[in-house]
Amino acid sequence: MIIDQDKCIGCGRCVPYCPIGAISLVPKDHAEIDLDLCAECSNCLRHGVCPTDAIYQQELTWPRTVRSILSDVLTIAEESQISGRGTEEMKTNEVTGRFRRGYAGIAIELGRPVLGSRMYDVEKVAMAVAELGHIEFEVSNPVTTLMCDPKTGKFRADVLNEYVLSAIIEFSVSLERVPEVLRRLDEVAREIETVFSLDICTRVGLANELPTVEIVKAKGYWISLNGKTNLGLGRPLVKGD
Amino acid sequence: MTHTLHRRGDVNSLSRDFVFLMMPSKDINHVGSAPKLRQFFELALECGAIKIGDCRSGNEYYQGGLGKVIENVVDRAVIHAVFDDRDKAISMLRRVKEADLGLSVVMSGLVDVVDQCCQEAGVQRHTVEHSLGIWGRTERLPSEAVLELNTMCGHGMVTVGLINAVVDKIKAGKMTVEEGAEELFKPCMCGIFNPARAAELLAQMAAEG
Repeated sequence: MIIDQDKCIGCGRCVPYCPIGAISLVPKDHAEIDLDLCAECSNCLRHGVCPTDAIYQQELTWPRTVRSILSDVLTIAEESQISGRGTEEMKTNEVTGRFRRGYAGIAIELGRPVLGSRMYDVEKVAMAVAELGHIEFEVSNPVTTLMCDPKTGKFRADVLNEYVLSAIIEFSVSLERVPEVLRRLDEVAREIETVFSLDICTRVGLANELPTVEIVKAKGYWISLNGKTNLGLGRPLVKGD
Repeated sequence: MTHTLHRRGDVNSLSRDFVFLMMPSKDINHVGSAPKLRQFFELALECGAIKIGDCRSGNEYYQGGLGKVIENVVDRAVIHAVFDDRDKAISMLRRVKEADLGLSVVMSGLVDVVDQCCQEAGVQRHTVEHSLGIWGRTERLPSEAVLELNTMCGHGMVTVGLINAVVDKIKAGKMTVEEGAEELFKPCMCGIFNPARAAELLAQMAAEG
């Protein structure tokens, strides 16, 4: 995103709309966007707060397009065909069978909340997880398609310095492997510049129990009281579940 | 994943925060899903949803009114309805089940409360997702009060700068907490930000000085 310096009157109304503080009044008579930081989320432009229409979207070319895909909520990802950089994950699990009984879905959302992330931190976490072995990253996730080697979690070199609001590393593991994944994430969390929000999902047990809750608590990790519940109303239901 | 998941707050505040999501699944049931999604919106409004929104096309401010949000729904949309009342949420759950639209529905909220709602409505939950919190350089994050508001938009569009600006205006008497909450809702394109809960949080922040 760019601010036309000839049009900008330096009112500063756009400044609070940037989620990562890339807009500043420098000097005080006009606003400027730090293109190294700008994640191309479009929030400043979309909100229409500029009284002189000085904000405009420049043409995005590779690899900067990665920023828009992983930051602009209205950009449709080619892999998932849905907006907002996410995937169907557990939301359609009753029809896809993506997460079966005995397995947990895990998503590591780099940069969320507030800080955003360089893709090299995303790679660092993905490689740490992949080192555990037999990890298959979700293929319909746009983050996975940026990897040059999904077996190792290594990303294309040309995207590593891109700055995005969030990038979700997503995979499924057997319930027995959840503790080793959490341990590894605990270690790699100390090696990154940013934060990640972590989540875990599970198929509800035959007695309406949630096996992941006990596993996580037993290992001393915090787990939220709130969450998302798939109500099982989609059709056709997946077979063999 | 997870744009309605990582909301922060205490049990009391979260007990008045329910988000329903409906979406088709690619190549399984997405063809012809738009009329069903539109019906979901209509049911939500009848049951007392305080907000509705569409991840694909934007919220009521972006699209130019609630009517446009409903009218512009297309196959493959991911849509939402927000409730601030347990009874209304159960009513929605019952109506969605009865309507048998055949698309996936996710209900976000306190997991045990949602389970109780499911039992009252005769729904067997299928898959449940929890947050395991924020890991890494958490010392770089703003205050917990700001995070409670920020995390109500899972895409981070309700920015720290906007939250602080709104709190300043409320403190200065230039804006009510309700007006402030509505202002914070506007950038949330999916329409999942809960302005009723936000008004309570803003009132606390303004009172704390």
